Amino acid sequence: MTEMTEPTIRTSQAVFIVDDDASICEGLSNLLESVGVRTEAYSSAEAILENWSEANAGCMLLDARLPGMSGVEFQEKMQQLGIGMPIIFMTAHGDIPMVRKVMKAGAVEFLTKPFQKEELLHAIDHAFAFDQSRRQDEEILNSIKARMNTLSGREREVMERVTAGLLNKQIAAELNLSEITVKLYRRQVMDKMRAGSLAELVKLCERVKATSRSSGDRA
Amino acid sequence: MARDKISSLSCPEKWAGSLVIPRYDAKMTDAASDRLSRWMMEYALKPCAIAVCFVLVALIWTFPLQHAIAYPFVFLFFGAIMGSAWFGGATAGFLAVVLSSVVIGYFFIPPFFSISIAKESQSFFAAFILCAIAITVVSSARKRAENAVRIARDELDMKVQARTAELVRSNLEIQESERQLRLLTEAIPQQIWRADATGYIEHCNQHLHDYTGKPLADLTGESFFQILHPEDAPLYLQGWQEALAMGSRFEEEARVRGADGAYRWFLARSIPQRSVDGRIARWYGIHIDIEEQHRAQQNLVLAQEDLSRLSRTMSMAEMAASIAHELNQPLTAVVTHAYACREWLRTAPVNTEKAAATAEKIVQESTRASSVVSRVRALFRRDTEVRDSADMNRLIQDLARVLRDEAIRRETTIRLDLAGSLPRIEMDQIQIQQVLRNLVMNAMEAMAQTAPPREIVIRSEKNEDGRIRVSVEDRGPGVAAEIAPRIFEPFFSTKSEGTGMGLAICRSIVEAHDGRLWTENSPHGGAVFQFTVRALG
Repeated sequence: MTEMTEPTIRTSQAVFIVDDDASICEGLSNLLESVGVRTEAYSSAEAILENWSEANAGCMLLDARLPGMSGVEFQEKMQQLGIGMPIIFMTAHGDIPMVRKVMKAGAVEFLTKPFQKEELLHAIDHAFAFDQSRRQDEEILNSIKARMNTLSGREREVMERVTAGLLNKQIAAELNLSEITVKLYRRQVMDKMRAGSLAELVKLCERVKATSRSSGDRA
Repeated sequence: MARDKISSLSCPEKWAGSLVIPRYDAKMTDAASDRLSRWMMEYALKPCAIAVCFVLVALIWTFPLQHAIAYPFVFLFFGAIMGSAWFGGATAGFLAVVLSSVVIGYFFIPPFFSISIAKESQSFFAAFILCAIAITVVSSARKRAENAVRIARDELDMKVQARTAELVRSNLEIQESERQLRLLTEAIPQQIWRADATGYIEHCNQHLHDYTGKPLADLTGESFFQILHPEDAPLYLQGWQEALAMGSRFEEEARVRGADGAYRWFLARSIPQRSVDGRIARWYGIHIDIEEQHRAQQNLVLAQEDLSRLSRTMSMAEMAASIAHELNQPLTAVVTHAYACREWLRTAPVNTEKAAATAEKIVQESTRASSVVSRVRALFRRDTEVRDSADMNRLIQDLARVLRDEAIRRETTIRLDLAGSLPRIEMDQIQIQQVLRNLVMNAMEAMAQTAPPREIVIRSEKNEDGRIRVSVEDRGPGVAAEIAPRIFEPFFSTKSEGTGMGLAICRSIVEAHDGRLWTENSPHGGAVFQFTVRALG
């Protein structure tokens, strides 16, 4: 199993361990290091938030019972801050309501101490894969958004109407432009958005809309 | 005959008296004139009238009779004088003497029809007057005496009548107050009884008859105590005998059987009534129904026990969680380090440095785990044990009293079979009582599914080796052979809510007292838990 999981673990990704017990942090770091996973250990939720960087990738290994902000509270806090890093919870004594709550809020796994190495590595592998795809999605979205930001106001108006399925003639009438001008704008939009076809452009636009809709929902 | 005349003759005199009044009226007030006229009537007119009447009658009868008798006939005048003195008093008597003397002197003593008296008749006349005066004195005195006697008799009569009336009235009053008292005792919705000085029940009120459904014959004397619950009767009787001996008030709670056969709790109270010389005349007792209070109190105790049981299991659960956390932390570290160590040894080439460092960590964390265990043990150990000399029988009796309500609630009888004299033991009373309580509660719980009668027997005896042995025997299903070896292990429990610590703690307490706790199955089918503790000296 270890052999199966190891290749998928990326060196850029790290496990962020949050546990107030230094020996637990040490043990986990030692174990993960021995299988080639980079780790960062923090003694509290507050400590990791202080040192948080947007570039952090990987997953969090979080003790449910922490001094100060508890693990469950920290999970809520991360959602508020828009930190999407997946969380693996660990506890010495899990009670069912807490497990249900954190899993519903999107935790990847809930481990009861002391746990098997395979359980841990499997959960980490799962979380890393999740985090990677999440980050990839985010990257793509960001590049689309960046391309969109290069569009001028007129170009944006034209793009909106093109993706809505209007004909050049209709767009020209609506925006009070000549049909030739609309065609010109349209070519510029295709170039700037790096879309090979109209279908591709529509897909790009839908992707942005979908995320803005879902983030709107979350807010 | 003479009296008839008097009364008929006195009437005109009364008129005369009444006629007199207006004459004085002009000068005097009504009251004074009234008093004066009454005085005149009594001391002047009445005697005069009586004297005149008698003398007239004598005169009238003497005229015809003097011709038949030769000698001057004056005897009738003696009669008139006697009558006047008798009826009119001394005044009338003397008046009659004077009148008679004049009439006799005038009519019947020569010279006739003249006041003067012949010489030869003077001695006779003087004798007559003397006799007449004597008669007057005697007659009036006699009359006075008779009057005095009559008045005295009348007064006596009146007094007797008054006394009799008073007696009748007070008798009625007593009857009425007795009736009121009886009504009151019947009106009080409590059972009341009365006993004589020796404690013999003489009387019970209707409520007591109604409640027990027994006639008076079945409630008097010793049979009275048969209405008590057999378990409460000895205590009740003991208290009652003590009260009788001391002459002090008596109070005891006991169950009393009703007509329907069901028992209710009553508070029995009795006070002695003392006579004037301070001796006890009788006892009055009252039975107050306290079933409701008793039930409420029992519910309260029950609720409290539930609460304490709950909080006990709660705190046990919390403690277990805390211990689990404390232990799991180092264990988790040990496990993760051990995994890491294996990984370091698997790498090619073997990372000996890392592996050795990790092995060192494993040692450290294991030590930490064991120190957690020692800490937990230290938490449960009582460093300062309070031991003093105590009487085991006393301890058992106290416990039986404490658990009486619980036993009643579970329809269980706790019977004590205690050795006559036990040596005192040096022990931690609270701990030993905890052991006893645990064993008795276990016994009750073991019999929860058993059909009544449920009985627990607590025995105490002295062993040959000088130890005291206490056994708690129940009539439950006994301890199954397959679990018997494990029941004293910590965390072993057959009860869903049990912590599994009870018997384990009991055993450690008994062992700390240099004793032993073990179990056997009783020949009667239940379980016997027994322990020994070492006696003093």
